[in-house]
Amino acid sequence: MATEAEGGGLVFHPMDQFIVKPVFGDGAVGMFTFTNMALWLLLAVVCVIALMVLGTSKRATVPSRIQSVAELAYGFIYKMVEDVTGKDAVKYFPYIFTLFMFIVFSNFLALIPTSFSPTSHIAVTAVLGFGVFIAVTVLGFVKNGAGFLGLFWVASAPLALRPILAIIELISYFVRPVSHSIRLAGNIMAGHAVLKVFAGFAAITAVAPLSILGITAIFALEVLVGFIQAYVFTILTCVYLKDALHPSH
Amino acid sequence: MSESDPKQRLKELEARIAAAKGVEKDKPHQEEHYSQAQHAWRMVIELVSGLGIGFGVGYGLDALLGTRPWLMVLFALLGFAAGINVMIRTAKELQGQKLAEMAGEDERDRHGDGS
Repeated sequence: MATEAEGGGLVFHPMDQFIVKPVFGDGAVGMFTFTNMALWLLLAVVCVIALMVLGTSKRATVPSRIQSVAELAYGFIYKMVEDVTGKDAVKYFPYIFTLFMFIVFSNFLALIPTSFSPTSHIAVTAVLGFGVFIAVTVLGFVKNGAGFLGLFWVASAPLALRPILAIIELISYFVRPVSHSIRLAGNIMAGHAVLKVFAGFAAITAVAPLSILGITAIFALEVLVGFIQAYVFTILTCVYLKDALHPSH
Repeated sequence: MSESDPKQRLKELEARIAAAKGVEKDKPHQEEHYSQAQHAWRMVIELVSGLGIGFGVGYGLDALLGTRPWLMVLFALLGFAAGINVMIRTAKELQGQKLAEMAGEDERDRHGDGS
């Protein structure tokens, strides 16, 4: 346990759960050390494969439970891509769906007690966020050529103001991946830290029932947050993709 | 009989699916209320990260050009403007969604009264 009562005082270590440690033995974390982060990232991937590949391997007309969950997830994201981005963006659906499944599974696996939450690290979410950013930017240039730069050149403003507005628009463009990744990591990290703080209060016998009730409530909220964050990440990816395909705003 | 019967049944099933879907349409509304805080978070993070990026760019350019602290101040202000810019765009997007939603609701209400 991260928390214990020492000489009547409460000791909280809410952030200890986010420390990256090697799984086998201890020592420094090097470039290729197999850490708890790697383990839980791998587990998320394995779970996605189990659901999407093994779950649907029978291809039953009347789906089993697992197959219907997989079909539901597929249909949900497919419809979202179609609604938000348009019919012509459906060919980018595999990337968006992979992102969604990966995030949703890391978020839910992180809710298992004593597990590690990979999405609470900016390092992970920034890779996801900047992956989307780079993909969308490259796609924008490929589809629209140099005309994509028109996004930064506000034609409706007076000529003297345009260079300043161009800088502002450029910074605005870079705000999106940053906020995209901070939001996911921040939400997951905050939720898990709050859980640990509530758990810390359980060391006092008198407050313990209240603390357990609190943990239960926050846990329920975290389940919701885990899903909503994955959903928000995915829908914003769709929005950015739409901007890249039709840069007109 | 054996030919028309499955067709008939299929049609009935489709009607039932459509009816069930129509009822379920109301559900996302409830979910919206939970995720209201989400919009607030989104805007706040956009505002702050705009400021942060502007500051970072200014600081970096200052270190390169040796003009500390002028570019830092300038780019922090520009970054702040960019943050507000993104935030306003988000607000507009949300407003558009809200309006579309309300219009859809009116349409459905009128439809319900008419039939």
